[in-house]
Amino acid sequence: MNLTIDNRKITIGKPATVLDVATKHGIDIPSLCAHPELTPYGGCRLCVVEIEGRDGYPTSCTTMAEEGMIVRTDTNVLQEIRREMIQLILSEHPAACMMCDDVEGCKVFQGTIRKVGITTGCRWCPKDNDCELQRIVEQFGIDDLTLPGLYRDLPLEKYDPFFDRDYNLCIYCGRCVRICNEYRKSSVLSLKQRGKQTAIGPAFDETHIHANCEFCGACVSVCPTGAMSEKSRKWWGDPEKIEPSVCPLCSLNCDIQVLTLKDKIVGTIPPGKAHESGGDLCVKGRFCLSELVNRTDRILEPEYWYPEGYGIVSWDFAMEKAREITAGISPKRTALFISPSLTLEEIYTAGYFSEHILKGGVVTSSCLDEKMTAYLKLAQDSVSLQDLDQSGAIFSAYLNGNYNYAPLTLAIKSAAEKGVPYYQLGWITDTTSRFARHRFVPAPGEEIAYLNDIITCLKNGQCNTPEIHELAGSMKKSKNGILVVGPQIVSLSGCITMLDKIRQIADLTGSGLFMPNPYGNLYGMLSLIRMKPVEEILQQIKEGKIDLLYLVGDAPFTKRPKVKHVIYQNAFPSPAGLNPDLILPSSLWGETGGSLLTDNGRIKKYKAVAVPHGYARSHIEIFSGIAGSAKIKRSGFSQKSIKESLSNNFHIPVMGSKKPVSSAGGKPSSPGKRFPYILIQEKNPHAFCNSNLGREIPALGELTLPGHLILNPYDAGKLELKSGELIQLHAPGKKMKFKAAIRKNVLPGYVYLSKINGELEFDSNPCYVNLKRDHV
Amino acid sequence: MKERITCFTEYMCTYPKEEGSLIPLLQKAQGELGYISPEIVETVADYLQLTESQVFGVASFYSQFRFSEPGRHSISICLGTACHVVGGEILLETCERDLEVKSGECTSDMRFDLNRVACLGCCALAPVVKIDEDIHSKVNIIKLKEMWSNYE
Repeated sequence: MNLTIDNRKITIGKPATVLDVATKHGIDIPSLCAHPELTPYGGCRLCVVEIEGRDGYPTSCTTMAEEGMIVRTDTNVLQEIRREMIQLILSEHPAACMMCDDVEGCKVFQGTIRKVGITTGCRWCPKDNDCELQRIVEQFGIDDLTLPGLYRDLPLEKYDPFFDRDYNLCIYCGRCVRICNEYRKSSVLSLKQRGKQTAIGPAFDETHIHANCEFCGACVSVCPTGAMSEKSRKWWGDPEKIEPSVCPLCSLNCDIQVLTLKDKIVGTIPPGKAHESGGDLCVKGRFCLSELVNRTDRILEPEYWYPEGYGIVSWDFAMEKAREITAGISPKRTALFISPSLTLEEIYTAGYFSEHILKGGVVTSSCLDEKMTAYLKLAQDSVSLQDLDQSGAIFSAYLNGNYNYAPLTLAIKSAAEKGVPYYQLGWITDTTSRFARHRFVPAPGEEIAYLNDIITCLKNGQCNTPEIHELAGSMKKSKNGILVVGPQIVSLSGCITMLDKIRQIADLTGSGLFMPNPYGNLYGMLSLIRMKPVEEILQQIKEGKIDLLYLVGDAPFTKRPKVKHVIYQNAFPSPAGLNPDLILPSSLWGETGGSLLTDNGRIKKYKAVAVPHGYARSHIEIFSGIAGSAKIKRSGFSQKSIKESLSNNFHIPVMGSKKPVSSAGGKPSSPGKRFPYILIQEKNPHAFCNSNLGREIPALGELTLPGHLILNPYDAGKLELKSGELIQLHAPGKKMKFKAAIRKNVLPGYVYLSKINGELEFDSNPCYVNLKRDHV
Repeated sequence: MKERITCFTEYMCTYPKEEGSLIPLLQKAQGELGYISPEIVETVADYLQLTESQVFGVASFYSQFRFSEPGRHSISICLGTACHVVGGEILLETCERDLEVKSGECTSDMRFDLNRVACLGCCALAPVVKIDEDIHSKVNIIKLKEMWSNYE
């Protein structure tokens, strides 16, 4: 197809809009609402062009290029229309940052006419210098307002975590609404009312949290003005550097970009140009990483436990003490706990350290319990995320993907939108639930029966319900169905049996499995070193077979076990009762480079972009410091040697002959008038280096509510309960008190408890309980 | 109210599960319950596999849908050109002041809800006030205040 734009002859292959064609060929047409990922909207009307033979001035973003079209983009009339449009936008958008006599001086000296202690300037828009409207105004050289201004005087919306909204600065380009609808398919934002009353947000005056917002930050990324801004870096100004990196907060290891300012990590955004990419990350990758690294309670100096208490010591002293402790240990009497959030390099060094310096001690990680190993055994044969795009049917079990696994939920949602049948098993309404053809909600004790029904149906076609029949039918019919199993299953009583059944279903239907986990480098850890199941080690500690407990970013203890020495090496403070002999502050993600092994066997590398907090040192530095330079050469840990020692198979820990005491869980008590509610518990679903992200990052805690009992608004109304009030939970033989939280994503009749750390409160999960408002 | 929502839910299931059913369903809901409550938005969104925001976005675009419970009687004050010229605005202000209610809302005793309309189509009778189904013509403030007593 041939057309002429600004006297240039252009040939295009695929159908495209005039704006796209022009931009692709280096012809600049100004626009504020167009976005490469989104459908054209024609809202800002800055991209108007003249097309020969057409009346008026069509917007180029909504006009498809046609054969023989003659387009002009830069005539005097067009410029005049655009200037008029900008004036109209500016009549409702505060313009003090652009139309002030003191703009130049303000930027340099930040003088202020208010009586304040610091010079801040009078600017109050957080996106100053990063604003597309500012850029357009500058480009057109507009220095005066021709229309009277109208300030909308809307209240600032600050009540949701992670980002603030000031719709006084909104220009209604609709990018946020479109990216939420089209790209994320969450549809939390919509344009409400019309005309002068037009507003953006969820239904009625609901908060984003209650509208089931995922807080992916896509709307914040694409906003061209300061209407949406990240809370954590609102007034920090422009970042100095943007570096590519990898997110370590779950097994999907998304690509991200890190924003740094003065050697400090200030934020993370998805790959691509700022303002153009947006919806690829989950809340953890988008907002939590920088908050995690900048936590104020990080350990900054080495500490040593003197008889009279902890004292801050120098690194030399700490190393000396560590050497003393490790030298006095007899062989095979140490246990090294490592976190699956560390890099391959760090894990490899830890393994080497354990073998040579700790004289053949055992290595484990608190996540490697009986149920998780069963989960990992199945996860070994995971398909890759790309296979989800080609799958013919998807069945997810206990996914709970609201605040994590964004690429996975996005793949499910876009497949379901294309017409791929999607079925969901589980109790929590997540972002994919709306796309499910059927949702299966099992009663306590029936989870296994559900899977059995599916298996029977697959084997002989007999079925109790038409829904299961449909599910079995479409899974069998499609050659490449996918079973998505979420790690919530690990917390359930029937986990191991259920995983067996899921494998059977996968075998019967020929479907692939996709099983994400909340650990950044668990696969890397398992392919680098042979580890023991954690129950076995805990048993050994109990039996007094361990003298030294070396904890590297992992500490599944609330009080000090009976061992001679405890060394605690982490970035975050140790659990209150652990009382380690030696505390060694380590650096975190972003402060040291490293590589992670993703779930599809690829190694992803990232660079150090910031300096470690305080006197923290990298794990490798600490290990080699303790070992002495002769024993561990850092050159020995080159990328090559690590790659060589990576095995193709995971060394999944195998239980010893002596099976540890397993908490198989009792039978759920029978329902009835006494216990009308169903409690579902989940072990810490968002873990990183011994910390529960929900507890450590208060804003994330508002979403994931660790330690809270979450119930449906309908049940809360019945119990006359408000958010934050205390609630009594009665289970057979047990009584506990929790703070209540109200969310729509828990179904009526169910209550959900996400544990902060440690084991579950009730043996059988799920189980029947009763709830009562606690009268104080 | 709950019974009426159940009744509506049964009726809703006769509609196909597609986006095109949204407006007819909202109209039916308003006809049955008098307004679009958050529960209705939730029910309809669940049925059509939309989000509540999407349903509310569509519903709030049209002035035909209301989102607060109507009073026992409904006062509509015409502010079309003819009525506006002869003092429709003053009638609206009087209602707002004396009944302590804002346009589009309902008095606290649920007696009246107050709305402004663009034109009732009888401009010769301006200013026009409609209470429930009765049209009152050539209204002034004294007449307006007398009228209220007929509606309890």
